[in-house]
Amino acid sequence: MLEVTQLRAGYGRLPVLHGLDLAVAEGEIVAVIGANGAGKTTLLRTLSGLLRATGGRVLLDGRPIHALPAEKVAAAGLAHVPENRLVFPSLSVQDNLRLGGWTRRRASSAGAATRGRVLELFPRLSDRLEQAAGTLSGGEQQMLAVGRGIMARPSVLMLDEPSVGLAPRVVAEIMQALARLRDEEGLTILLVEQNARAAFKIADRVYLMDRGRVVLQGTPHELLGDDRVKHAYLGGGYEADETPDEGQDAPQRETP
Amino acid sequence: MRLLPSRRSDLIGFGVLIVVLAVFPLLAPPSWVNVGVYALIYAIAAIGLTLLMGLAGQVSLGQASFFAIGAYTQAILVTRYDWSGITAAVVAVVLASLAAFVLGLALLRLRGHYLALGTLGLGIIITVLATESEFTGGTSGIFGIPKPEFNNRTYNSPSEYFWLLVPVVVIGLLVARNIVSSRIGRALGAVNDSEVAAETLGVDTFRLRLQVFTLSAAYAGVAGVFFAHWLAVVNPNAANFPLSVKFLLISVLGGLGTVWGAVIGAFLVEFLDESMSTFIPQVIPGATGEVELLGFGVVLVLLVILLPGGLHQAWQLAVGRIVGRGGGADEAAAAPTARPDPDDSPLFARAGRSEPGSTLLEVRGLTKHFGGVVAVDDIDLEVRTGQILALIGPNGAGKTTCFNMVSGVLTPTSGTVRLAGKRIDGRKPHTFARARATRTFQNLQVFGSMTVLGNVMVGRFLRSRAAMLRGALYFPARAEEAQIARSAYDVVEMVGLGAEARRQATDLPFGRQRLMEVARALATEPDLLLLDEPMAGLSRTERRELALLLRRLRAGGMAIVLVEHDVEAVLALADQVAVLDDGRLIALGTPDEIRNDPAVVAAYLGVDEDDSEAAEAVREMTGGSGGQS
Amino acid sequence: MTDFLQLAFAGLSVGAVYALIGIGFVAIFTVSEVINLAQGEFAALSGLIAISAVASGLPLPVAVLVAVASVAVVALLMERLTIAPVKRMTTLTSIILTLGVSTALKAVMLIVWGPNSQGLEAFPGENVTVLGVSIRSQELWILGITAVVAVAVIWFYEQTGWGKALKACAEQPTAARLVGISLARASMLSFLIAGVTGAIAGVAASPVYFTSWDSGLAIGLKGFVAATLGGLVSVRGAVLGGLALGVLESLVAGYVDTGLRDAVAFVVLVVVLVVRPSGVFTRQAVARV
Repeated sequence: MLEVTQLRAGYGRLPVLHGLDLAVAEGEIVAVIGANGAGKTTLLRTLSGLLRATGGRVLLDGRPIHALPAEKVAAAGLAHVPENRLVFPSLSVQDNLRLGGWTRRRASSAGAATRGRVLELFPRLSDRLEQAAGTLSGGEQQMLAVGRGIMARPSVLMLDEPSVGLAPRVVAEIMQALARLRDEEGLTILLVEQNARAAFKIADRVYLMDRGRVVLQGTPHELLGDDRVKHAYLGGGYEADETPDEGQDAPQRETP
Repeated sequence: MRLLPSRRSDLIGFGVLIVVLAVFPLLAPPSWVNVGVYALIYAIAAIGLTLLMGLAGQVSLGQASFFAIGAYTQAILVTRYDWSGITAAVVAVVLASLAAFVLGLALLRLRGHYLALGTLGLGIIITVLATESEFTGGTSGIFGIPKPEFNNRTYNSPSEYFWLLVPVVVIGLLVARNIVSSRIGRALGAVNDSEVAAETLGVDTFRLRLQVFTLSAAYAGVAGVFFAHWLAVVNPNAANFPLSVKFLLISVLGGLGTVWGAVIGAFLVEFLDESMSTFIPQVIPGATGEVELLGFGVVLVLLVILLPGGLHQAWQLAVGRIVGRGGGADEAAAAPTARPDPDDSPLFARAGRSEPGSTLLEVRGLTKHFGGVVAVDDIDLEVRTGQILALIGPNGAGKTTCFNMVSGVLTPTSGTVRLAGKRIDGRKPHTFARARATRTFQNLQVFGSMTVLGNVMVGRFLRSRAAMLRGALYFPARAEEAQIARSAYDVVEMVGLGAEARRQATDLPFGRQRLMEVARALATEPDLLLLDEPMAGLSRTERRELALLLRRLRAGGMAIVLVEHDVEAVLALADQVAVLDDGRLIALGTPDEIRNDPAVVAAYLGVDEDDSEAAEAVREMTGGSGGQS
Repeated sequence: MTDFLQLAFAGLSVGAVYALIGIGFVAIFTVSEVINLAQGEFAALSGLIAISAVASGLPLPVAVLVAVASVAVVALLMERLTIAPVKRMTTLTSIILTLGVSTALKAVMLIVWGPNSQGLEAFPGENVTVLGVSIRSQELWILGITAVVAVAVIWFYEQTGWGKALKACAEQPTAARLVGISLARASMLSFLIAGVTGAIAGVAASPVYFTSWDSGLAIGLKGFVAATLGGLVSVRGAVLGGLALGVLESLVAGYVDTGLRDAVAFVVLVVVLVVRPSGVFTRQAVARV
């Protein structure tokens, strides 16, 4: 469903992704893990068109999308739930969800059904439909952001670190919802996560990224026992003789 | 486009300009010289506007207001009260500056639009007042202003007036240029790149902008004085909006990248004006000023879209390539000195620092709400001199938000922050800096228009003193500049960036840009240093070196708070570790205590404490040592 | 008392015009943070076009339509040709750009219509006298039209899809793109709204306040003050602000000195910004660090 070949991207003069290969089959959940600075967020931003790729190819259901701007990528069926949620703060929960379905706004009946589905997955939102999104708690905002992504009825849903700043119970709720979407509707999901444990629980396959490349892939079980996963998280992952010229991630993320 | 310290191609242009001005009246026909006089008068006002726009990044749509204040004051004092030209001129310029000062006080704290429209409104008010008031002569204005007279010589003819103006213009250019290259100019350049970073280095943005605004009005006032004497009449048209637009056009056309652009722009605009008003009526019967107005509008739009740097940009493209880049002021000033004995650095031992072990930073009940999201919840922390406190926790735990509140970038929703006993919560970042504390940023806030050395020199802002007027004078400023560059270079060397000191900051890999931010922070000679992920992107060797430096700083009595994801490095370096999760402080203790705290491990891996299967996996993954990123 | 009411009513009428202009400022600012210095010129241009249209024989309603449509096109062209091409829009750049357009429009108006003030023929209706206050029918038209436009604009932003999409673009442009909203279309739409409201202000005001090539300057500045009273982001605030400003101006001109009329807006601007900055600091650009 989503095929990434030799993807390159960067910020200004500094390249971040160095020829990355990745594939997500229909109906799977693929997790991408890696330390801070590995390029995970850059990867999602390049896929969704916020950042222009400097090389490589991205196929969405066979269709090339790597040269499209973000608005068109969304219309093509790739929904990106961004880092930090970015809900529309002064608009209501209801309106946030409605705008999520922007690219499919002509088919209004299907929209109502999808909204029903979102509220079923995240019951907390149905109590707060008229509330301004900026007044929701962090967990609720994350659920709203995920729901907004679902409203686009995408072919592939991408999420950038949905667990950030959330209590374990809330994280579990969100992960469960994602698993249900895969199981019950065959939704294809690409999940970038810092919280490896939570991601491993629902992922079918996992990619480990380091400095702009994929260094390891396999099932969660296979990766758990691999030393390289450990190294990627402890101590920053640089060897003494390495030069820091390649692949630093732009410090785009905020840790509030 | 902004004012930056001159390059070689600029100095050449400067020289050419002065020569041209000097010989102009000799070679040009009298009608041209007449136009030239107006050009020079307007140029003076435009130089002030270029300073305001290019250096302070503000727009004034009312430069003519201060021009008119200067002109009217001069006219009234000389014709009605018989004051001597020079004394009157001083008062005129002071009044114009005062008007700007008051307006700036009200409007400069706000977004740029307000100053722009506020100055527009001022222009309208001045026109209204001048038209209505008898004191200013109503619509006819003040007339009969005599030509200036020095040493028994009356400056009557266009050529004489032109030559009278040339030194004024040249001095005006030199003063402006010096300011741009000075400490103040550098500080304002830094503000243009990253206002928040400049503030945390002690730059009081508002105050500097106010100074530049006042100065730009002074320039307009001077221009107004010469205008009054040349025209012999001052009426309300001197403050009108079209004139303010003309000043704006002159500045933008000449280019905001250099001060002499204003002079070139002025000549161009005045000559165009002149030729169009003779030419157009012949081509389009009945049309005069309107077409020129249309031309102004179209030119402005085209400039901004196609050649935002104005004629200066064109000059640089043409000549700059041939002559080579040359350097800015910081390049000229600093020759690499032999590396001094690091132990002598004021970073390692400062007289007047509090006793080692005494509490320097005290945080109580610190809380921050963003709408419905509680980012930081009731945090208590203490940092002592000669101590390193590490702040760790998973993403989204609230670490950077804490830094932002302590350093004044954010106002806490509740709670207090005390530095050396004084409350600083809710104060601006430059107050934090003045209290000898500073920070680095997780999302790099590099001054992209400067070199590595230039960035660190901004860090010396609080440790140097040259104010704007002093900066305007060449020699006193020069000595201090050299000193600033030297001490900055020492710090650059200390962190290991000596080889890259002259490179553009944005050319460095991100990890080394972070290191540069650390150097920049150290240049302020702080007692308290907050570092937000300084090690991200550094190689193992570089991390070791940075850790070593931090240890030495600690030994000298500096207090350091460190946010880091490199848990191993942090545990080896810190005296105390505070663990944040979900905005709350969940653990505080020595590295050993933290390493073995199950709550910490759970926080990093995001599992419930009573999830035994997970705990097992955790032990496997971490090999028994503390949390992971 | 009658004097007071007369002045107040006259103030409401002119204030309604300011309100319409203010709405235009809000429309553009909320989406792109651009202050459109040509907003006043939209009004002036529309008035002049309507006058010419009537002079060439078109019935008044058609002339009004032609004027509003023309200015709408001008506004769209302005967005496409001057705003959209600029990659990095700073305050300085946006001010100079819109100033350039404003100057160019003024010049065109001066060339085509000459320097004299002209007035559009008044809309149909009778003058009335209420409580001793004589009210011109056009003033009633102005108030009525402003009310309708204000309600329509507010309805648009709060009840329609595109209205909410515009708000979304203003608050979270990245997320708006990810949801598939075209920022370019949003920008064009905001200029369209500004053009239409400005144009309506122009034709409604022309019979009473007269139009000329440079009548846009004063009206633009006052519309901006009205928008500022609404924090630059609230349509309701701009409307109330405009009305308040109009009344205040009228009272000062009547009771203090007619010459000071134009100064009122400026003084209000400065006072508001100094005293109530929180209302105006709404889009505080604190860098996320």
